[in-house]
Amino acid sequence: MAEEIEQKPADRPDGARGSAFDVLMSFLKVGGSAFGGSTQAMVFREVVDRRQWMNEEQFIIGQAIAQVLPGANPVNLALYMGLKVAGGLGAAAAVFGMVIPAFCIIMAMGFAYQEFSSLPVTSFVLHGVAAAGVGATVSQGLKTTRKLPKRASTFIVGAVVFVTIGLLRWPMIPVVLVAVPVSIAWAYLDARRAA
Amino acid sequence: MDNKLLGLFVVFAPLSLLSFGGGQAIVADIQYQTVSVHGYLTNAQFADLFAVSRAAPGPSTLIAALIGYQVAGFWGAIVACLGIYVPSSLLVYGIASWWQKHKTSPIKIAVERGLAPVAVGLIFAGALAVVRAALANEPNNIIVALELVTLAICCSIFYFSKIGSYTVVFATGGIFFLIHLLAF
Repeated sequence: MAEEIEQKPADRPDGARGSAFDVLMSFLKVGGSAFGGSTQAMVFREVVDRRQWMNEEQFIIGQAIAQVLPGANPVNLALYMGLKVAGGLGAAAAVFGMVIPAFCIIMAMGFAYQEFSSLPVTSFVLHGVAAAGVGATVSQGLKTTRKLPKRASTFIVGAVVFVTIGLLRWPMIPVVLVAVPVSIAWAYLDARRAA
Repeated sequence: MDNKLLGLFVVFAPLSLLSFGGGQAIVADIQYQTVSVHGYLTNAQFADLFAVSRAAPGPSTLIAALIGYQVAGFWGAIVACLGIYVPSSLLVYGIASWWQKHKTSPIKIAVERGLAPVAVGLIFAGALAVVRAALANEPNNIIVALELVTLAICCSIFYFSKIGSYTVVFATGGIFFLIHLLAF
């Protein structure tokens, strides 16, 4: 049944419209099968390769917006894609499809955790899994750091946020509410000075 | 309304708008709010739920569903999910609509460049918060060393290879299961 969609109008400069139902089906599939860091690649495969709802450039713009704004990247990405393909209803359908399968799986795992958390082996295995999860987080942080522009402002802002929230354990909200406007203004002034 | 349901919503809804770069950015504050401020969870419970959320598919912010379930059952999970997803989704909806109508401007570039380093600082702070929670009440130095070595090895694998994170997370769980069978 997947092959029916393969008949592709070759050039769709502005992407294509689809139905909210198609969007829901696509994102239910992605939401149920995208593990770990593979989510964006799975969405790309579905939205660009299979459905041809948009081209690579349009996808990358959506991906950038999903990453820059607050919120879970996969959810933001689904929302942007659904909105572009089928309007407001498409956005809702995409978010619903992305979240529901993962929600069901994690609830089953949470239930299992409550049942088995008294066993010593459960806690031990989860210690290992937590260590692996932190490893993924640190690696993500390192990769992102590597791609940041090499400017003093970048490293000062990053370091101040890490030290205040991570080491000194200040509450995050006030720190971020100060750091974000300062950082954006600094980037704006840097760019004006360079121009 | 049930106090705990309202409490969950009040914890997660503001964090929704601050989760730049995804769930990792707010892990430190989720831990602070649910363990230190509200006392919904112990440090050990938080570390365990974090581990479950990393082993599951989907966005890492689904840790909200796990915490909600732990605190107030099924409706707790639903309320926590609404809290964590609805505010950021409304914001993304508004900005995505706006984005398609406007060309690149110096302000847009500044916003992207300004947000990136804040997100990176938050990612590292989140990693530290989980390490702290996991090791807070661990008396056995061998286990502490084992976890730190595992963290370093997994980080290297993620950094230098294309192996999927799900594979690494589950392989680590399997190896820890075997170690427990053999050594304890």
